[in-house]
Amino acid sequence: MVAAIASDHAVRGSTLTLREVSHRFDLEGQPLPVLDRISLQVGRGEFVALLGPSGCGKSTLLRLVAGLDTPTAGSLLTEGREIEAPDPSRVVVFQDPTLYPWRTVWSNVALGLEARGLLRTHRGRIEDALRLVGLTGFANAYPHQLSGGMAQRAALARALVNDPKLLILDEPLGQLDSLTRIAMQAELVSLWQRSSFTALLVTHDVEEALLLAGRVIVLSDRPARIKAEVVNSQPYPRHRGDPHFVELRREVFEQLGLDEAW
Amino acid sequence: MSSVIDEVPRPSEQSGFGFFESSTTRSLIGGLSVAAAWSMVAAFTAFWPDRPESDWAYTGGFAIACGALALALAVAALAGVRFVAFQRLQRLSPWLFALAMFLAAWEAVTAKLGLLPLPFFPPPQAIVEVAIDDWGRLAEGIFASARLLATGYLLGAAVGFVTGVAIGWSRRAGYWIHPVLRFIGPLPATAWLPLAFFVFPSSFSASIFLIALATGFPVTVLTWSGIAGVKSAYYDIARTLGATQRFLVLKVAIPAAMPHVFVGLFMGLGNSFAVLVVAEMLGVKAGLGWYLQWAQGWAAYANMYAALLLMAFLCSGLITLLFSLRDRLLSWQKGLVRW
Repeated sequence: MVAAIASDHAVRGSTLTLREVSHRFDLEGQPLPVLDRISLQVGRGEFVALLGPSGCGKSTLLRLVAGLDTPTAGSLLTEGREIEAPDPSRVVVFQDPTLYPWRTVWSNVALGLEARGLLRTHRGRIEDALRLVGLTGFANAYPHQLSGGMAQRAALARALVNDPKLLILDEPLGQLDSLTRIAMQAELVSLWQRSSFTALLVTHDVEEALLLAGRVIVLSDRPARIKAEVVNSQPYPRHRGDPHFVELRREVFEQLGLDEAW
Repeated sequence: MSSVIDEVPRPSEQSGFGFFESSTTRSLIGGLSVAAAWSMVAAFTAFWPDRPESDWAYTGGFAIACGALALALAVAALAGVRFVAFQRLQRLSPWLFALAMFLAAWEAVTAKLGLLPLPFFPPPQAIVEVAIDDWGRLAEGIFASARLLATGYLLGAAVGFVTGVAIGWSRRAGYWIHPVLRFIGPLPATAWLPLAFFVFPSSFSASIFLIALATGFPVTVLTWSGIAGVKSAYYDIARTLGATQRFLVLKVAIPAAMPHVFVGLFMGLGNSFAVLVVAEMLGVKAGLGWYLQWAQGWAAYANMYAALLLMAFLCSGLITLLFSLRDRLLSWQKGLVRW
């Protein structure tokens, strides 16, 4: 594992393959299908967004990728190997920061290293991660002393300290106010550019998906199927007012069946 | 508009008592009146003769003690003008004043007027007498009680904690322990008393068992509910970061359950006091509980009050100790209840 952390920058991101992934929940004896034969190929270091209406099963898909649940049918592979259990190379940032309230920001960020017994050798990484998300002065603060945006930054640092090959972002900016949100979107892009991990973002915000991702996968209502794929090859930073951006946004809304509103 | 409001004097300044304006002066007056109240208790005890045919040996001593306290309070009140450290006493002033009034009333209706029947209601100096003449036996009692309580409580808390974690974490442990807990747990520990005293080799070990039982039940149930109530998102986070089962129990479940565990520890402590006293009265023949009963048997009511007073101090002290331990360990929590 130590070798994995020190591996080469250029190939740090991992690939992700979804083959005909279907999933259903058992709701009081009734099967509730949430994912319907999803197939997807994500390349090394790519930033892909999954866009879909609320409750369409996006978060379920992320739990499967993280290895927290197993799919009813189909298979998920990373680097050609089947995903069977959670692994610190695939880290999730949830919508709710879920910091441990009994730990300071520093110890929250230290969680992954501590869990794997790497705290002693890689202590310095915690300070680095805190600097990366701009929380240097808050190492000794408790979560209840942080604002929503700061807590989400701390959660991001907790993920990044493990040097993930695949960062799974489950609407990580969903609970932030719009100003903090815009600032954090730009920060996410620059973090991704600097650390070159593969990123999989779930969101229901069309602009956010197009601002951050190179490829936007549009999902249908539950059970989620892939409806369309929109590629945005514009360089970063992207601008909301840019004519090409506006055109892409219109295209995505059309795919979501909301073009009337525009 | 606002300047007009500013110019109107506030009611307190209007009243003409310019002397009371500064809070230092006010606290000095407060402190001195408390000192005056205690010197009144002293004077009253010393110069109003005790009722005829009573022979309280420490009336003078009690008066001197009250006088000394009055002097100390006066000095503290004067020091408070200059030193901030003494100003904290100011908060206690109303209580110290009320206490002086209470002692004066108690002194009056017992030693001076004899309105309350003896030997059930001895005057304050009789309790001072017990503290001075019988301190050896009282100290022995404190030591015996503390030893019994500490052993039983720590044992019960430890076993209860481990059992609670086991039920909360492992389905199989829950399957076997839960029914036993449901069946036996609600039974008051004192109901085991007759059985415990002949099953165990000594009354001391029997009492340890009973105190541990009384402590263990609430600690188990609350620890269990704490572990069961941990948000599943906490586990998801740790699992994606590579946590082992051991890490999930020790570093996620237990810390998250600690607020509940402390509620159990508080309930257990209260239960353990009750069982301690009963066990000492019925079997152990040592400790403050036994002293209480022994004193009552000899109609030595002053001794009984002294032991009760000591017990109140000890129990309250232990609760305070547990609260400060909790405040230290759970300082991350918002809105802790202050003791």
